[in-house]
Amino acid sequence: MKNPPALDQLIAALKVLPGVGPKTAQRMAFHLLQRDKAGADKLARALDRALTKLTHCERCNTFSETPLCSICADPERRPDQLCVVEMPADLMTLEQAKCYQGLYFVLMGRISPLDNIGPKDVNLDKLMVRALDEVVEEVVIATNFTAEGEVTAHMIAELLKERGPKVSRIARGMPVGGELEYVDLSTLAQAVYERKSLTPPADPSAQPG
Amino acid sequence: MSQQGRVDRQPGYLLHTQPYRETSLLVEVFTPQHGRFTLVARGARRPRADVRGVLLPFQPLTLSWFGKGEVRTLHTAEWNGGVPQLSGIRLVCGFYLNELMLKLTARDDAEPRAFTIYDQAVRALAQTHSLSSVLRRYELRLLQALGYAGSFACDLHGELIDPAADYLCRGGALPERASGEAAGPSVCLPGAELLAIEADDYAAASTRRAARSLLRLLLTDLLGEEPLASRELLQAINAIAD
Repeated sequence: MKNPPALDQLIAALKVLPGVGPKTAQRMAFHLLQRDKAGADKLARALDRALTKLTHCERCNTFSETPLCSICADPERRPDQLCVVEMPADLMTLEQAKCYQGLYFVLMGRISPLDNIGPKDVNLDKLMVRALDEVVEEVVIATNFTAEGEVTAHMIAELLKERGPKVSRIARGMPVGGELEYVDLSTLAQAVYERKSLTPPADPSAQPG
Repeated sequence: MSQQGRVDRQPGYLLHTQPYRETSLLVEVFTPQHGRFTLVARGARRPRADVRGVLLPFQPLTLSWFGKGEVRTLHTAEWNGGVPQLSGIRLVCGFYLNELMLKLTARDDAEPRAFTIYDQAVRALAQTHSLSSVLRRYELRLLQALGYAGSFACDLHGELIDPAADYLCRGGALPERASGEAAGPSVCLPGAELLAIEADDYAAASTRRAARSLLRLLLTDLLGEEPLASRELLQAINAIAD
């Protein structure tokens, strides 16, 4: 027996989600249609609204309903610092850490040569325009400490070299409150390779923020 | 009860990872006795997963896994250490090692020699300043270990290479004394350069140039004209740096 075309279309549409195959898509479709019609209606409206309302913030490239996102539009934020992150989720986590008062730029991805994602696919052109606006004095690169995040950081640093803003990378090392005995070995090894000097004493003006 | 297809404590490198389901990773690994294959690392993307700081590319690992079929399951991964994590341009070179390995090897073929060559190249990348000679040596030795290239000590007729003569090199063939016309893609190189390349002696800039054109020819012959993504990235970064 064949499904009605509308049902087939719904199942095919649900398969676009990552990790959803034909069986899961079919189960989701039956659930939405049979058990949770209100939920299905809500999903349809939310999806429609997100697709029509959401764009990328013209300054930081994150998702936004307005041309400027709420952070970029906030006059309290420091305009001379720009923090580069891979995804909006990274921005949210940094905000929760309450350690940074500057502005952001969201790449919406990372360079990954083995997945054929090159520099052109991660909005580096837009970042360059943003970082070289002559207001930004420091670019803080906060891409992930994965091989792909590191390559992305290197590329950004090379692009910004001798172009004006100071470029920094967030630090990697021992976790806060970490005990050597229990920390994983690769983290400990890298913390030793990237140890920092305590002589002369750390500059007291080098406070985060 | 022992698990089916259980293999314990093999040296290995991780070539590539991709997210799988909610919290797992699919990792492409390379081992000397079992070649290149895919493992699923269950729960590896959970926030406090033990293997999170272990499943790193360009780090020598000890892997145990079980299962049969195309995708096996990672049981444990241990970090052996001794190699600082690659960064900057070295990291891009590392991606190039991996891309070549992924494209040149077949799955599940034991390649102990290729493994040794990869291991030496990663360790060299972490230390040396002469990155291009590491890459050239890796390209040549990998092609030779996988049977795609022969030794450059002898020519097509089994005679020793004469340092003073010029030789015509083609993909998939031994060098031949140059005799004027050349059909198809080829490079013409002095015998002395071929001998230097075969001896891993990249001290002279002319040898590095010769090796670059020779290996570019051999790789294009095998992989086609489709560009290697990591090589393009390396060129893009070098172009900015200049």
